[in-house]
Amino acid sequence: MEGDKRFRELIDRSFVEEVSEDERQLIHDHIRDCDGCKRYLELTARTIRGLREFTFTSEPDSNAQVREILAHHTETMRQHNVQFKVWAAFAVALSMSIVGSALVYQVAKLLTVPMHFDTAQVQAGVLVFWLLPSFCSALRLLAAPGENRGIA
Amino acid sequence: MTLNTTAETETAKIARGLRERDMELLADLVERRQHRLVRYLLYLTGRREYAEDLAQETWIRVLQRGSQYNGRQRFDPWLFAIARNLAIDYLRKKRKAVATVSLPNDRDAMLLLPSSDPSPFEAAARSEDAMRLAGRLQILPPLYREAMLLRFQEDLSLAEMAQVLGAPTTTVTSRIYRGLAALRSAFEEGDSHGG
Repeated sequence: MEGDKRFRELIDRSFVEEVSEDERQLIHDHIRDCDGCKRYLELTARTIRGLREFTFTSEPDSNAQVREILAHHTETMRQHNVQFKVWAAFAVALSMSIVGSALVYQVAKLLTVPMHFDTAQVQAGVLVFWLLPSFCSALRLLAAPGENRGIA
Repeated sequence: MTLNTTAETETAKIARGLRERDMELLADLVERRQHRLVRYLLYLTGRREYAEDLAQETWIRVLQRGSQYNGRQRFDPWLFAIARNLAIDYLRKKRKAVATVSLPNDRDAMLLLPSSDPSPFEAAARSEDAMRLAGRLQILPPLYREAMLLRFQEDLSLAEMAQVLGAPTTTVTSRIYRGLAALRSAFEEGDSHGG
């Protein structure tokens, strides 16, 4: 009885895991003389065969539905991605505009005395010829043509 | 060797396509795997309506997290692992909605949601033996049921099953043996009653 239990475990294992050729031969030799284990092996094989005899049918338009949903999600994700990139580019451009303008203002201030300008003139010059154009360039990123248009 | 190379190429192609959100590749994946995905979810949840909904959710998750698939392993275990996690979360929410009892800690316990619907297994049985198994499958704990499906219908290796189930191989084999024993008894009892 204990021997049968061991063989039945081996039979189970032969269906589930890899068993060696020797173990396979051992099962083969054993079931020649043991009807109980032979029947056990047949029932196990029958069970596994039976499991493969189920046919599940999907909803007829299930695949098409899934494809449609995925296409919709892909488009939404693409739009979000584009939006993110545009705003990121705007943020970078705006930072560069502010930092650049500050640097230009510092340099222009150094030229105030030799060029006989006063501070207000330098400030107006930097604002008109540097800060405003670079700020407008940054803003233009938000109203870029093509797929980016209308995001701003 | 050739087969391995082919398999590698196939998985690498899938990984690249998922990274690039290639709709053509996704449509092909759906075409080839939707049926099996629904079947797996059916085994897991025991209910047709859950399986169809969860399959859709799974594909959306594949689209969103496609870049996480590295292409070094087969795609199917990765897909089933996503489906399984979604199913567990979904059933947890369902259970919260219908039950007032406290939830067990084990995530797998979420799969033990009782069903009073007609058996989808009986509807799918195509032979007398399958019909006998259908009744057993319906009452078999889902953990064993999914182990049966993954091993004997999806032909996943034990290592791949461990990846899907997030459990050690020893646990996986134990579930298979127990499931097999429960299903085999359908024939043992049936035959002894039949004479």
